[in-house]
Amino acid sequence: MVRLYRLESKIVALFITLLVVVQLAGFVAIRTAIDRNARASISEELAVGERVFARQLDQNAQKLTQGARLLASDFGFRQAIGTDDRETIASVLSNHGARIGASMAMLIGNDGQIRASTVEYPDTDLQRSSLELVRKAGNGNGASENAVVGDRLFQIVAVPIKAPVTIAWVVMGFPIDHQLVSDMRELSSLQVSILVSQRGGVGWNADVSTLAAPAASMLLKEVGQPAMRAGGLIDLQIDGNQYRARLLPLAQASNGQQAVAVLQRSVSEAVEPYQRLQLILLSITVLGVLGAAVASAVLARRITSPLRDLADVAKRLGEGDYSEGLFIRRQDEIGRLGNAFETMRLEIASRELKISRLAYQDQLTGLPNRVQFADLLRDAIAEAARTPGAACYILMMDLDRFQQVNDVLGHSFGDDLLRQVALRLSTQLLHPGAKLSRLGGDEFAILLPGVDQDGAVEQALQILRALEQPLSLHQQTVDLGAGIGISGYPAHGQSSDVLLSHAEVAMYTAKRKGSGLVIYDPAIDQSSQESLSLLSELRRALERDEFMLYLQPKLDLCSGQVVGAEALVRWIHPEKGFIGPDNFIPFAETTGFIRMLTLWMMEQVARLSEQLQQQGVQLKFSVNLSTRDLLDQELPTAFAAILQRHRLQPAALCLEITESAIMDDPARAQNTLERLSNMGFALSIDDFGTGYSSLAYLKRLPVDELKIDKSFVMKMAQDQDDAKIVRSTVDLGHNLGLRVVAEGVESEEVWFLLRQMGCDQGQGYFMGKPMPVQHFLAWREQWRAPDMLDQSENMAV
Amino acid sequence: MQQKNMIRTGIAAGLLPALLALAAVAQAAVSVQVLDVAGQPMPNAVVYAEPAGAAAPPAKAPRQVEIEQKNKTFMPLVTVVQTGTPILFPNHDNVRHHVYSFSPAKTFELKLYSGVPGSPVVFDKAGTVVLGCNIHDEMVAYVQVVNTPFFGVTDRSGSVKLEGLGNGKYTLKAWYFTMGPNEAAVEQPLLVQGEGRASIKLNVKAVPL
Repeated sequence: MVRLYRLESKIVALFITLLVVVQLAGFVAIRTAIDRNARASISEELAVGERVFARQLDQNAQKLTQGARLLASDFGFRQAIGTDDRETIASVLSNHGARIGASMAMLIGNDGQIRASTVEYPDTDLQRSSLELVRKAGNGNGASENAVVGDRLFQIVAVPIKAPVTIAWVVMGFPIDHQLVSDMRELSSLQVSILVSQRGGVGWNADVSTLAAPAASMLLKEVGQPAMRAGGLIDLQIDGNQYRARLLPLAQASNGQQAVAVLQRSVSEAVEPYQRLQLILLSITVLGVLGAAVASAVLARRITSPLRDLADVAKRLGEGDYSEGLFIRRQDEIGRLGNAFETMRLEIASRELKISRLAYQDQLTGLPNRVQFADLLRDAIAEAARTPGAACYILMMDLDRFQQVNDVLGHSFGDDLLRQVALRLSTQLLHPGAKLSRLGGDEFAILLPGVDQDGAVEQALQILRALEQPLSLHQQTVDLGAGIGISGYPAHGQSSDVLLSHAEVAMYTAKRKGSGLVIYDPAIDQSSQESLSLLSELRRALERDEFMLYLQPKLDLCSGQVVGAEALVRWIHPEKGFIGPDNFIPFAETTGFIRMLTLWMMEQVARLSEQLQQQGVQLKFSVNLSTRDLLDQELPTAFAAILQRHRLQPAALCLEITESAIMDDPARAQNTLERLSNMGFALSIDDFGTGYSSLAYLKRLPVDELKIDKSFVMKMAQDQDDAKIVRSTVDLGHNLGLRVVAEGVESEEVWFLLRQMGCDQGQGYFMGKPMPVQHFLAWREQWRAPDMLDQSENMAV
Repeated sequence: MQQKNMIRTGIAAGLLPALLALAAVAQAAVSVQVLDVAGQPMPNAVVYAEPAGAAAPPAKAPRQVEIEQKNKTFMPLVTVVQTGTPILFPNHDNVRHHVYSFSPAKTFELKLYSGVPGSPVVFDKAGTVVLGCNIHDEMVAYVQVVNTPFFGVTDRSGSVKLEGLGNGKYTLKAWYFTMGPNEAAVEQPLLVQGEGRASIKLNVKAVPL
């Protein structure tokens, strides 16, 4: 059995099988009917044939009888008989017998004696038959019968000779000749054979037959034993042909010999017209099957070829090719399927387009997103890899202070800003193949295929220059700035992932340094790796309580009294030992860890402050806030919770903010500072003089204190300019109503100079370095302010 | 009817001299009854008596007899005559007849003729003569020719009166036309002593008239 995998083959096979089965059933039914009909018609023909043959024999006998009767009525003949003229009688018998075809003729007297005969010695059978026939005829006009004479079948007739009463009988014998059976054959299309059984009843002799001699002799064998044949239908097989035959007993001799007529009908001849019919039916069947095959193939093709096309389209859809559609102009189910398919293709194509846009395009700017940029970069690397000596660079940039813009001016403004930046950047591309992309947030990247490092740097500088120009948006002017990291193939990496991460590292480095652009260097990466581990170490340090609170005393320069201390943090690493703040504070600031640290500091200071207050010691501790702290909206709340926990008034603490931290995001800083100030915290501007704050701005800030940067204070004894700055600053502070604190007091001389300038408080190595809490407490106990009050006054004077 | 009368007249004319002769010698008449095999009276049977042991009575010139053909039938069917009797065959039909006999007692033929033949046929030999017509197979007549003047044909009652017999011994014979041509007549002795009666039985069945 061949497996049919194709729908088309299945349909065709089904059609043909159905048709063949139906035709076969019809064929079998017709054949059975034909066979039955043929046999019935053969039987009928044979029955009719038997009657016809009997009638023919009878007519033949009548004809012979009439002939004999004519002879018998011949006057001369009767006269010869009447006068017993035997010679004449014999010659008349012979002459007249020959005239009507009798092969023998006899005259039998009323006494049953043969008076004359054309047969010299008629055998006893003939005599007996003749006498019986005469007896049978009686007073009638004659009789006839069939008789076996000498192995042949005769029709014998007996007619009376009347003069005018019966005076004798003429008996004439006619052999059944070939004419009779051929007449029968012509009449009925039956084969007719006359068979006479052999003496002793062993077999048959053929007498006459319409069959050819060989067939006739085969017939003898087929008919079989004479004794067994009593008439009825028999089937014969002669010369390969099938016959149906009927045996018609004709005569039975007293010696047991019998004669039969075999009427046989060729079955094949009888069914021949039917066979032609069957042949026609077969032809119709074959034509029908062929027609059905063609029709079903066409039909199947009409069904399957659009299905195959649809399958092809579906395959292409699966491969992501939505370009080619399929139009089936049909109204049927296939057509509807095709239409549904077409609709599906268009829908999927548009959805895929949308998805890929979502996946590969930045929705805000319409620029390629990170994913697409990575793909483009991959392609560019592959392209560069094909050409020896070719390179490919990427720039990655992060806008300065974008987070603040977003927080202060709102996300909508931030989004507009990003769009404007994208617009500006896209006009600054120097290389035709350059591709701008927004990686996310305020990060942009530019792909420079086939560009070397110089080209990349040139592009970066171009960008930086473009960003120097402030951007006007919604009546606001925003200063832009960015850190740009550069990495390139093949110098810095082989894969897009590596290049991207290297560029990012370089970019962060640039931002940290504040310098515009940084080309990736494995050393940076090293530090960035360290940074990562540093962050986790910082976290662990907080958990394990590895940080220590250090305090640097803050003194009233006039009285020499310890009025407070600046809280500082030190890290006692379990393996590396003491780690100075410069080694982790900037890092903590950039990573935001500083907020944790600030809270930790706040907690420590508050606890200490509470303890000291219980001992009756009033000291004002200062805690440093970083830029990050200022941006943290939750900070005031967290501080309030800590103060409440330790039953402290905010006035017990001072919060120091560097000038640059404020200027990173002045509006936001001002907001936070005002909230803190309102809570009651004293606020101090740290490192004053190093930033770029305007006095106008400074004036608006709710601060209580200025801390002059130690860079001015440390050398003021030697440097007149520094001394002037310090003096001016002290005056400025006082004029603004602020307390002025000097940092970096490292000598008695400076102390006195500051006191002379009217500076309120001082802080420095001269009084005490930053020290652990216990040291600080011990130091405070033994601290004696230098008694130089007069001396300094003298000097001033 | 007229013909019938003529035949009777003929017979009467023939018998009369014999009767007269017998009467002269002491003549007697014997009434004979013929019965068939079933015992029924048998008409049309020929009855004749031959004197036993004695020579036949002297032959006188027998009278001519007629057997006419009328309606394609011989009339009468059965005729008995003494040897030497001439028989005339007048044809009263309007078709021709061809009267013939192949009987050994008398073989003759009167070829197609109409009307009355010119001469009669003399039946000069005792025996049965069967007459036929060659062109009308159904016509048949029987003539029994006997060597005695004492004969007759039974009437409807199967009786016949033989007259003119002298006393003496006779052989009484009876013949019926259905008996074969060569079959001998049934015979029985008859003793005549004046008027008498006799009955004879035949072994055939009477043909209804």
